[in-house]
Formats: sequence, C-alpha cells, structure tokens
Amino acid sequence: MSVGLPHGAEAHKHPEMSFVRKYIFSSDHKIIGIQFLFSTLIFLVIGGTLAMGVRLQLGWPHADHGWLARLLNWPKSYGDHMPPEFYNMLFSMHATIMIFFVIIPMLAGAFGNFTIPLMVGAPDMAFPKLNMMSYWFMWPAFIIILIGFFVDGGAPANGWTSYPLISSLTMPVGAGFQSPAGAGTGYGQICWLVALLFVGISSMMGSVNYVTTIINLRAPGMTFNRLPLTIWALFITAILQAFALPVLTVALILQLLDKTFNTCFFLPPGMTTVGNWHAGPGGGQTLLWQHLFWFYSHPAVYIMILPAMGMVSDIIATFARKPLFGYKPMYLSLAGIAGLGFIVWGHHMFQSGMDPRLGTGFMIATIMIALPSAVKVFNWLGTTWGANIQFTTAMLFALAFVSLFVIGGLSGIFMAATPVDIAIHDTMFIVAHLHYVLFASSLMGIFAGIYYWFPKMFGRLMNEPLGKIHFVLTFIAGNCTFFPMHITGAALQPRRYSDPLQYKWLESLQGLNIFISISAFVLGAAQLIFLVNFFYSLFWGPKAGRNPWRSNTLEWTAPSPPPHGNYETTPIVYRGPYEYASPESEEDYLPQTENLNGKVAGTQPVHH
Amino acid sequence: MQKFWSILFGATMLAALLLFIVAPFVGWWLPKNVATFGGGIDGLYYLILAITGFFFVLTEAILVIALWRFAGQPGKKSVYQHGNHQLEVIWTVVPGVILLVLAIVQIKVWADVKFIKNMPKPDGTTQQMEVLAKQWEWRVRYPSSARMAEWASNPKAAEDFGRNPHLDDIYLPNEIHIWKGDADKDNKVLVHLKTGDVIHSFFLPNLRLKQDALPGKTIPVWFAVTEYNLEADPQSTEAEPRWKEKDIWELACAEFCGTRHSMMRGKLYVHKDKADFLKWLKHAEAEQDRHAPLASR
Repeated sequence: MSVGLPHGAEAHKHPEMSFVRKYIFSSDHKIIGIQFLFSTLIFLVIGGTLAMGVRLQLGWPHADHGWLARLLNWPKSYGDHMPPEFYNMLFSMHATIMIFFVIIPMLAGAFGNFTIPLMVGAPDMAFPKLNMMSYWFMWPAFIIILIGFFVDGGAPANGWTSYPLISSLTMPVGAGFQSPAGAGTGYGQICWLVALLFVGISSMMGSVNYVTTIINLRAPGMTFNRLPLTIWALFITAILQAFALPVLTVALILQLLDKTFNTCFFLPPGMTTVGNWHAGPGGGQTLLWQHLFWFYSHPAVYIMILPAMGMVSDIIATFARKPLFGYKPMYLSLAGIAGLGFIVWGHHMFQSGMDPRLGTGFMIATIMIALPSAVKVFNWLGTTWGANIQFTTAMLFALAFVSLFVIGGLSGIFMAATPVDIAIHDTMFIVAHLHYVLFASSLMGIFAGIYYWFPKMFGRLMNEPLGKIHFVLTFIAGNCTFFPMHITGAALQPRRYSDPLQYKWLESLQGLNIFISISAFVLGAAQLIFLVNFFYSLFWGPKAGRNPWRSNTLEWTAPSPPPHGNYETTPIVYRGPYEYASPESEEDYLPQTENLNGKVAGTQPVHH
Repeated sequence: MQKFWSILFGATMLAALLLFIVAPFVGWWLPKNVATFGGGIDGLYYLILAITGFFFVLTEAILVIALWRFAGQPGKKSVYQHGNHQLEVIWTVVPGVILLVLAIVQIKVWADVKFIKNMPKPDGTTQQMEVLAKQWEWRVRYPSSARMAEWASNPKAAEDFGRNPHLDDIYLPNEIHIWKGDADKDNKVLVHLKTGDVIHSFFLPNLRLKQDALPGKTIPVWFAVTEYNLEADPQSTEAEPRWKEKDIWELACAEFCGTRHSMMRGKLYVHKDKADFLKWLKHAEAEQDRHAPLASR
C-alpha cells in the first residue's frame, strides 16, 4: 500500500470540457502524444510508399511503366520509363519525410510526450500549453511539405540534404524559384525549407518542456538514479535537440534568403555564370551549408536513436524479468554518444573539399563514438544472460533492435575510416548503414514501444499473434532488403542513381538489386498487418488492465488509459525501475512505488 | 516454440554472414584496383572487415545462445544481477584500445592520398590535366604535345597549367587519358578538379579515388596506376591510331548533381607508355586542328 500525499487529480479539477478541448486542442500530454503518434503513422505510410517507388526503379531501371506514367503524368520524352527527375524526387522526399515527419516526431513527440510525465510521476508536463503549441506547430509543417508535391515544379528532388548550389540558386525577379540547375528547386524547395523550420520550432518547444519536466516534476523518491532509461534517453535527446536545432534553423533561413532575396551565403565569388546562366556576384562559400547542415544533422541521427535505445532498455528488462545490466554505464554511454555526437559532423564531409587535415580529427572522434555504442550492446546482452525471457511482440522488436544495431554500428566503422570512405562515400554501403540504424534499429524500437505502451495509451491490447507475424515478416524482409546493400556498396554502386545500368561495372549486381526490390515490396506489404492490428485493436482489442506486462515503472500503476492528472495520489518512489527477480518480492517483479515496509521514501537503503 | 526465436535470429545472421563469404566468389565485390595507393585502402577495408566480422559473430552468437538458453519458463526466476564492474571495464577498455589503434594506423593512408603536401608537384614530369565537371559531363583539358615537350626542358613552365588554360590545350569530354609511367619518375598524375556549376564528385572506382568538385575552387587530386588497359590494335595505322581496351575502367559522378547525375559516365584510358600516349595525343591534336604549337602562352 503506498502512502500518498494529497495532490494529484483532486487539486486539478476542470469543468467538463468540450470534445474539441479534450481531444483536439488538448494540453494533456497523453492526448498530445497520441496526436503525434497518429500523424506520424500517416507519414510513415507516405514515406514508405515513396520507398517502394525508389526500389521499383532500382530493380528495373529500364522498365516501361505504362499505367503509372499515365497516372502520374510523366513527360512523354522518356517514353514510359520513370523520368530521372521523378526518381530523384522519390528518394529526396522519402528521406525528408522519414527523418523529419516520422522518426523524430514519433520518438520525441509521441513517446516523449506520452511517457515522460507518467514515468517520472508527474500529473502533466511543466508547460502544458507550450506542449499543445509544439504539436500544432507541426501542422503547418505537415501541410506545407505535402503541398510541395503539388506545386509548380514539384517536390524537392535534390536529396534530403538540399546542398547548394543546386538547391539554392537565385532566379531573376519574376522568374520564380526554380533554377535550371535542378528539377524540384522551385516552390517545392521553398516548401521544404519552411516546413522544416516549423518542425524545428516544434521540437525546440518540446525540448524545453521535457528538460524542465524531468528536472522539476519528478515524484518524491524519484532521484535521477532511479529514472528509467527511457527518461534518461529522452532527457539527453531533448538537450541534443535544443543545442543542435538553432544551427539548422539558421542554415534553412540562409538558404531561403539565397533563393528569395538574392543573398549569396552559399554562392562563391568569381562564378559569374553557373552552367549557362548568370549567377550574380557571389561572396559566400558552398561548403558553409554543409557545415551548418551537418552540425545539426549529425546530432539528429543520435536524436533518432537515443530514445529508441532507452525504450529498448526498459522493454528488455521488463520481458527478461531481470534487472537492466549496468544501469550507470547505460546512461553514461547515452551521454557519451550525445556529447561525442557534436564533434563528428565532418565525417559527412570527408570528400567534400573540406581541408583533409580536419578529416583526420573528425575521423578519430567518429571511430571513438563506436565505443559507447558497443558498451550499450554488451549491457543489453548481459541483461538477457541468465534471464527468463518472455517473447512478446514488444520484446521481439526490442531484441531485433539490439541484433540489427550491431550490424548498423559495425558498418559505420568502415565509413569512419577516411581512406575507406574515399571508396564507399556516396555508395550503397552508406545506404545500407543508415537503413540498419534508422529502419532496423530506430523504427523497430518504435514498433517495440508501440506494442509495449499501446495498452497504457488506449486501454486495450494489440493482437499478439498478428504482432508476431508482423515481426517475423519485418525481420526477415528487412534484412533481405538492406543486408545485400552492403554487398552492392562494397562493389561501389553509387547512391542516388536513377540508372545504375549505365555502367558496365554495375551490370553484374542487377540480380542482387532485383532481390532487394522484391524484399522491399514484401517488407512494405507486411506493415499493413501492423496497421490493421493497430486500428482494429483501438476499437475492438481486449481490454487491458493497469499492468498487463507486470512491469515496474510508474506508468503501469495508473489506470489504462490514465485520466487527466495521471495519478489519483502523487506516487512515492522507493527504488529503481529494474527490480525484477528481486529476493524482496515473491513475484518476479517489484514496482518502483511498492511500499514493502511502511517506511517513507528516502529513509530506506537505496536500491538501484 | 520458445526456442523458435533463437533459431530465427540465428538463421538470419548466418545468412548474412554467408552472403559476405560467398559474394567475392560470384563477382559481387570490390572492383579491380589499379591505383598504387589502392592497396592501402583495400588493406584497411579488409582489416576493418576482419575486426567487425569477429565482433559480429561474437555478439550475435551470444544473443542467439541467450535466446535459446534463457527462453522463459513459468515459475522460474532470473538471476538477480545488476551488473559486473569487471566486465564493464573489460568491454570498455578492449574495444577502446582496438578502436584507437585502428584510428592511428590509418592516418598515413589518408594523408598520402589527400594532403596537398604529399601530392606530386606540377614539375614537367608529372602528368597533368584539368577536369571540369559540368551538368552532365566531364570536360577534360590536356596540354598539347608541344607544351609537354617544353615542360621536359623547362619544368617551371608546367606550374601554371591548372590555373591558366592555353590556346593549344586539347579539350575532350568524358575521357581520362594517361600513360603508365615508370615508378617515381613519370607515373604520377595531377588532376586540377573544377566544376562549372553545381557540386559534382570525381569518382574512379578502379582507383579507389573520389573527390568532390566545389564551386569556386580548384581542388588538386593525384593518383598513379599499376597497370594499363589500352594496347595497340593490330589494325592501327600511323594516320588512324587505334587501341584495344583490355579492361574497362569507368568514371562516375558521386555527388548528386541533378537530373542526369547517374548518366555522367566517363572512361579511364591508361596507355602502355608515354610513346603510345603521345601517339594518341597527336592524333587528337590533328583532329581538333591544333597544329600550330603556341609554346609559353
């Protein structure tokens, strides 16, 4: 029986609110988290569909797509082949949407919002109205990025990295924004820049909230050393976002100015003509964009994996029925990854024309960042050793995270090595690496989190057999899609190529490329099983109790779903989150708020 | 049923490992290397492959075994263990040392290829060309045979080639012509890389060579080859020299540059020796009607 202090929902009474105030313009972190979840799931479908288009072209670069050409109004000059500019748009928007509209808002927006107050024992975020704004600031981003597909000139088609000069050339007044240098550099590129500005502002608002809530609103007894790894990870990620995003914001604004106001931040002096057209006086540096962009975008990749690492730690401990191995090393390594993550951005620029002596420095930091990641893998393995593993769908995805993050992390070492990077930069080897860390790790971590917290969010359970089928298909098809890319990459097949068959040296790889494409189609189709399961279970899944997984963390003591204000009385925390198989309990778990001896928090021997 | 998961993970990882083992034997592997510094790059690749391969097998095996041995049973309790300080030290220090050593041993390989101080000087014996990347072609500028002869007697005249075009320079699209010179004499090639519009990247897979071309900059790139791929064609005549391509070595663009980024294909032609190269160059001069040598201009 917990001794509760009088607070919680009683002190926080509202008059009964309208549907709009409760579910649409809500300041309740749980509703906001679910709003992020639904929005990002829609973008996951869009981003995934774009990927299917990419693989269609790479599998059969010279195929005739009669009905598709008609449907999408492709220019007749290519016959019924996929126009290269269409392919370029596909991979550019696939990456843009997956990074900025799926993974980042899913991890920080959906899971950050939903879990943080619950897991620290707070009734809501520190700034609920700011929280509501951070969700609604995503809506201009959602709308503007989608509008980009339909404007004159189409969606951006120059990579999610939008390098100058191809993306940034100014056109003469009255000539629109589309430069002859690149397809999709017109209104679509403006949409891209503005949409990302809104995403950044939304994230920065979220960061302020998460850091403040975690520092200030922890329940009594919830010391930093008793925080679940999910919270440690979200805390460190929020700090990463706060420091990195301003730089991206600046970069986006500079490119917007170059495109619209004839500034020349990225146009070097002396290029009076670019190709066949007049460029203007110049005075800037093309490489400046790359430094600003990657100064954000490298920490961004850690933003995209740290929360998943935290969630996976909690999920593995729960279903291994065993304490997390190495609690302190686990949060210290998160901090190490984040800190080192700020001094490695140049590894995206080894071949860029940046002084190669800087490359040596970035190489050393980049190679060392493998170390905290390796420590984490060993600790996850240590958690499973001697455990009593329950193979729920959430656990399976969490284990897959560990297994496939090993591959993603190890492949990173090749490109960290500057001489090897000379050969493999801008090849499919990089594409293999990034998909192992983003799809096979981050997205599988997200699936683990959804299967795990669904009952708490919606009060119902997802279907386990369907979940396992989703897992098996995703695991097998995902590896069949992305593992062979290490091979095509080792053969130095370039990335972003609409037609690799132009090169004799790549012809022998086409069989592998077809295998990859077919696997990708299976992978895409398998996600339909997840979507069906998700939406069916929302309405007709079996009702879940408070703690279907017999987990230790605070959110599982609240009702499913928790009411506004979360806890009837303020929780009091007596121990860390990983007291599974504890000798102090007859059960194989011991919740953080379980009061064994009637003693007040803080006077007992501290359990870690 | 519980053991099924261990088998699934194990089989998948085994398939991945097998693919890497089989791939070189079916031709899905690094293209042939003909660069002198390529050996260092490939050696580092194989070293990293060995280290990562070892840790891949080690960690995945531990995971697969754990999933098998510790698949849950009702009523059983796990080991109540929060960690092991000694293990943490071992698995921090050992990988840390491996990574540090890996970082240190590779510094020279990178410096040898990319540091300007290690590049051949434009001194008359170095082969030179300017490569101008443009949407969507490689426009290569060669010195004329007369200019090359002048460089032999006046090395200082070779210094300005990258900066200044000359009236008798030869321009050709999409063909890199060099000759396989004698080691440490005239086998080094210095490319002055420029772009006429957006960022491109000069990528020769068979040389393990890649360098982005930046607007507003001329970036030096160097290499030397170990083999040639052009031999005399029996049907070659004095007026119409012809060559047979023993091996095809291609040039590709490796930085996204727009619609036809994947179609910027060039070829690398390595002549057997300087005499063959000059035969080709003089024929190109004749074709482009550049007969009047304009030395020192």
